[in-house]
Amino acid sequence: MKAKSRRKPAAGKGPGRRSENKKKTRQAILRAALELFASQGFYRTTTKAISRKAGIAEGTLFNYFRTKEDLAVYFLEQELDAVIKWYENDDRIQKAALPEQLFAIIQRSLDRLAPYEEFVGAVYLRALVPSSSLGPWSLQTQSRSLRYLQFIREILATAEDDEQIPPLGDFGAYAFGLFHLAIATHWLQDRSRGKERTLALMDRCLNLGSHFLQKRNWNW
Amino acid sequence: MGKLGFSLVGSYLGYQAQNLLLSKETRPQRHARLHKDVSRRVRDELGELKGPVMKLGQMLSMQTDFLSDEVLEELAGLQMQAPPMHATLARAQFKSALGKYPEEAFREFDPEPFAAASLGQVHRAITFDGEKVAVKIQYPAIRSAIENDLKLLRSATLPTRVTGHVPPALLDEIARGLLEETDYLHEAGNIDYFRKGLAGLSFVTVPHVYRELTSDRVLTMSFVEGESLNNWLKRKPSHALRDLMGARLTEAYETQLQHLRVIHADQHPGNYLFQPDGRFGLVDFGCVKRVNFGILELHRFYETRGWQENEAAAHRFLSIIYGNNVPFARARKILPILEEFLDILWPRGSDFVIDFKTFKNPRVNEIRRKFLRQTVQDKLVNPDFVYLVRGDMGFWHLISEIGATVNLSEITGLVSATVPPMR
Repeated sequence: MKAKSRRKPAAGKGPGRRSENKKKTRQAILRAALELFASQGFYRTTTKAISRKAGIAEGTLFNYFRTKEDLAVYFLEQELDAVIKWYENDDRIQKAALPEQLFAIIQRSLDRLAPYEEFVGAVYLRALVPSSSLGPWSLQTQSRSLRYLQFIREILATAEDDEQIPPLGDFGAYAFGLFHLAIATHWLQDRSRGKERTLALMDRCLNLGSHFLQKRNWNW
Repeated sequence: MGKLGFSLVGSYLGYQAQNLLLSKETRPQRHARLHKDVSRRVRDELGELKGPVMKLGQMLSMQTDFLSDEVLEELAGLQMQAPPMHATLARAQFKSALGKYPEEAFREFDPEPFAAASLGQVHRAITFDGEKVAVKIQYPAIRSAIENDLKLLRSATLPTRVTGHVPPALLDEIARGLLEETDYLHEAGNIDYFRKGLAGLSFVTVPHVYRELTSDRVLTMSFVEGESLNNWLKRKPSHALRDLMGARLTEAYETQLQHLRVIHADQHPGNYLFQPDGRFGLVDFGCVKRVNFGILELHRFYETRGWQENEAAAHRFLSIIYGNNVPFARARKILPILEEFLDILWPRGSDFVIDFKTFKNPRVNEIRRKFLRQTVQDKLVNPDFVYLVRGDMGFWHLISEIGATVNLSEITGLVSATVPPMR
């Protein structure tokens, strides 16, 4: 920390620039790590290799991410950001029918995860440890899922306004979140060619779900 | 599917109960109405399921004639349908099959399909070299779905297999055919074979396959111009043009049978694209079957009723259509039915003329059904012959829809006189 505060003011001007640089370094580390996970696998990648690839000292790496778990938390946040940003910039998908929109959100995120499958699998296992910051009870996870739920909630609210689905409120977002998790789990286990079974499962469930919702005019 | 089973059973039971109360006159009408209701039900339910189950029911029914014409008509309407894929799914499935997205493989790719195809849908695209292509994308995981359905089908048909009415060979044949249809690489092989084999016929267009953009689940082929039969007929083509089209279709069909020794068993109008000047294109080569017997010999038998000459000839004829191990005594019961059929279609001493009016004759369908029913009853279902019957029936139906009159004998002779284009 001390070493950095000595160096940083010389490089940038003011605290804004400093956090900007910090963000850039974090992203460079993540990028390096992901490249190595993709080419060598998660378990065979060392912190040494990551820091070398990112062009920083191994000690500096630990200033940014104390553990691989921290790296995973950061990774998941970045992934969520990327999917939200993609959705907000894609006019076609925003106008598509709800089942396609929801399909596209999961498919987009799985497609992004595909090169790091082993890493994602490791994250899943790690998340089962109660003390893990990746687990469902960790506050970090909860703040991320809240952001995710709000994102989905808005999409569902638009569909509710268009009367594509009956009013579901926040429940709809929760239910979809669970579905997303289930699909991701299936995807990790899916050994079919090009993971086509996951595509079929997703498509059928979403069509069935929307069919089911449309048929019943629920009045709470 | 459970719902479908239930509603079929439900309405049949209702029908049986009411049967007691109905007078003789109203019964046939009610019967017809019930079949229409049931068939719509079948179509609604299968429409949702689409895909394999539909295909299975359709193939089984067409090959053994278990279902009524009304139900078959409804099923035929579903022929080209497959589960629709939205743009995102089609794109994802493309990548799943070829490892890259359509926008990485083509200069332009239309996310909206322009046609449904068996087990998938077809998109227009333009290659990086500027060529127009049709890209057929298969619905994901359809092969494993079909494998599951086949298991179900095998247990569902156990009773009929035990009694021998539906021979295991037929089920194997259906299974083989269906699984083959899920493999677009196999279809690509068929396309190449047809393209080479039909090269001598200048009025036929067979697409060519872009192998580097094709896998077992995505098939990229050159775009074939033309329109559907319905649209072609809307232009009110002249009698001469209809007859020309009919004759050319027949020449192509006979060339396949005689020289290529294959049969395109799915003779559905949707597998052809028609052009205003009387040319046509062939699309969809999923359901192609090798023909194991000499089609000309069969033809001669039909023409001369050759089985009447002596026992040996009758034996020979029956072994052609039912295989070498045919139970002769049982099988020959089919001959009078066949003669009755031929007396309408192909009177002695004249040419075999396929005339659209013939197929409006209800006797023809009646006898055909009698023939197939007898075949099933006598446990004589021979997959090879069944394919030929199915192909012929589909083809004649196509000719009658076009409204053409075709002299089949003449064209058969013409084709047999040409040198085979391959070999």
